[in-house]
Amino acid sequence: MSDFRNTRRFFIGLATICVALAMGFGAQAADKKIKIGVIYDYTGPLAGGGSDLQALGAKIMIDYINAKGGVEGYMIEPIYADAQSKPEVAINEAVRLIEQEKVDMLLGFYSSAQCVPVAAKVDSLKKFMWITTCISPAVLKDRNLKYVFRPQVHGAMFGELSVDFLNANSQAKMGIAPKDLRVAIIHEDGPYGSGVAGGNAGAAKKLGMNLVLKEGYSATAPDLSSLVTKLKRKRPDVILHTGYNPDITLFLRQAKEQGLRFKALIGHGAGYGVADKLYDALGNDVDHIYNVDPVSIWLLDPKSLAASLPEVTAKVGAEYEKAKPDVKVKSAHVGMAASNAHVFFTDVLPRAIKKYGGIDAESLRKAAMETDIAEGGTLLGFGVKFPKAGESDMMGQNTRASPVVMQYVKRKVYIAWPKALQTIDPVLPLPKSSPYAK
Amino acid sequence: MAEFTEALFSIFFVETLINGLLLGGVLALLSLGLNLIFGVIDVVWICYAEIIMLGMYTIYFLHVDGGMPLIAAAAGGVGVTALLGWLTHRLVIGYLLDAAPINQLLATGGLLFFFQGLAMVAFGIEFRNLGVSLGSLALSEDIYLSWTRLLSFAIAAGVVIVLFQFLSRSYLGAAIRAISQDREIMVLMGVNTKKLYLLTSAIGGGLAGLAAALLAMQYDVHPFIGLSFGPITFMVCVMGGLGNMVGGFLAAFVFSELITIGGYFAELEWGYVLAFGFFIAAMFIRPEGLFARKS
Repeated sequence: MSDFRNTRRFFIGLATICVALAMGFGAQAADKKIKIGVIYDYTGPLAGGGSDLQALGAKIMIDYINAKGGVEGYMIEPIYADAQSKPEVAINEAVRLIEQEKVDMLLGFYSSAQCVPVAAKVDSLKKFMWITTCISPAVLKDRNLKYVFRPQVHGAMFGELSVDFLNANSQAKMGIAPKDLRVAIIHEDGPYGSGVAGGNAGAAKKLGMNLVLKEGYSATAPDLSSLVTKLKRKRPDVILHTGYNPDITLFLRQAKEQGLRFKALIGHGAGYGVADKLYDALGNDVDHIYNVDPVSIWLLDPKSLAASLPEVTAKVGAEYEKAKPDVKVKSAHVGMAASNAHVFFTDVLPRAIKKYGGIDAESLRKAAMETDIAEGGTLLGFGVKFPKAGESDMMGQNTRASPVVMQYVKRKVYIAWPKALQTIDPVLPLPKSSPYAK
Repeated sequence: MAEFTEALFSIFFVETLINGLLLGGVLALLSLGLNLIFGVIDVVWICYAEIIMLGMYTIYFLHVDGGMPLIAAAAGGVGVTALLGWLTHRLVIGYLLDAAPINQLLATGGLLFFFQGLAMVAFGIEFRNLGVSLGSLALSEDIYLSWTRLLSFAIAAGVVIVLFQFLSRSYLGAAIRAISQDREIMVLMGVNTKKLYLLTSAIGGGLAGLAAALLAMQYDVHPFIGLSFGPITFMVCVMGGLGNMVGGFLAAFVFSELITIGGYFAELEWGYVLAFGFFIAAMFIRPEGLFARKS
């Protein structure tokens, strides 16, 4: 009897110790955290141009990952910082987060004008930086950065895709051979607009298109009437435009009032990605305008994605609607940041912790270099792979990223190109109902 | 060269000249209130464009959310900015009349950030748009003129005439002109300068509301819209001779023509380079302003 009692006491004791140990480990696990500095523009002109929506996408993803219990025992501790639409503030905030807040890494960045200097600074401080949004090739090109990674599409790809789209459809839809197509390129003159316009011009020249005008302007210019007049004089068939927000609506309004006519207008992300705002400002005039961007995650066929992803897409959409109840057309911006952040939290970070034993910049870098996600493996549909040393002049750039051409019709967004993803037969040229139709 | 000649003798050069005139109307309207205030009170309101921004918000909310007709909303905007002008003088400038000019400048600079911050907190960073377009007037198959800009031009010209008449013919106008000539002596003559300053500030604020009504039809409303116009308005005023309303009115057209013509023949940004280069040169040649009367 006494033996039995002793044995029972022994097992109860053992169980208590196990529970205590487990709780101890649990407490320890919950204590572990990765501090991430999240930088977007929450104020200033870029905020309304799409940055606040990108910030929302990143936040939704961070909250989602934390709600699921974090990553390999690490909870995400975000410290949100506002770059105020100013490059100098972005640099100061990045340095403050690294040196004073002691963050483990940085994530975010909407504006290319900020990304270019910040990426170099962060890399020199040997900290890890995961870019969800800014697209300028100048951020990574010929810089051989070690700790900066961008799963996002880069600007030249945007510029090339719109020209590919025209090349494939010009003859069939408009009856104009690509070499006779009169193309005008206008862009905001920062690294973002210049990068995309460079891609436009390079591809258009390669295909022998007739480039009638290529011109940059300041996104804060109070008047674009001279630009519109010049376009009228050059009579382009197609306008390729890259801008932020106030300048896009100003251009479209002045173009309409001054009677500019064309056969197609292709925008490239940023302000063109916020369909709700465009429709609010310009009404149905927005119909049939194209926008090149990474695809809106809500437009993709769930069957084309890995089995676990459609549920995440739906979750991001639900949180988006909760945060912005009056949204009519879900902006691609939110899904873009959410997807690119999702890649980091579900692929790079777990590998850094499990395989390389930590969340320091070196472990994160090694883990990112091993990222190998096939097409259909991200919410945005494209795969992710970063070039190995010496393989590319754009180290840290996702080589598997690709944008799509979308078209706005009656407040809905459709995929017009590439053909494999099409949800609409592209309407080209502009129908007579458009005030811009030639 | 052939390109230049072709551009010069093209019908579109005529359109450029007209566009310059119409942009001039917008700039002239923007500079009127600022000039009036400086001419009378001798203080530069750096925050003037931000008062216009708050006027634009007022008009937006009254028209879009309140469902008021645009004209009534514009009148509401003028009322609110007139009140803001009055308050700016009553609460800030009134205490700084004898302070060093740099302190006056810093105070109105502080107000600029205060108004911007206030708009951001109260209305958020979203771009808002009236969604109103007055369309355009077709002069020929190639030349179209924006009705909104034509209206700005007409109103700017109208306001200059009305203000000029008010200042030269009415008793109050005479008092305002007198006080702008000698602030100290007017007190000795028994004039209540405080009242006149408040009235001038309210009129200047009201003119900001008028500008806001026309800008709201052409531009998105957001807390930073003032940044696009503030510096250029200030330069127009300086070039015309600070405080000289007719000078400011004419300078607006010189400035806008340089911007549009430069932007037509070269890249758009060259228009601004040309205009600002001209401004610097003008400041060297006539620091008191191009159209300032010789004292």
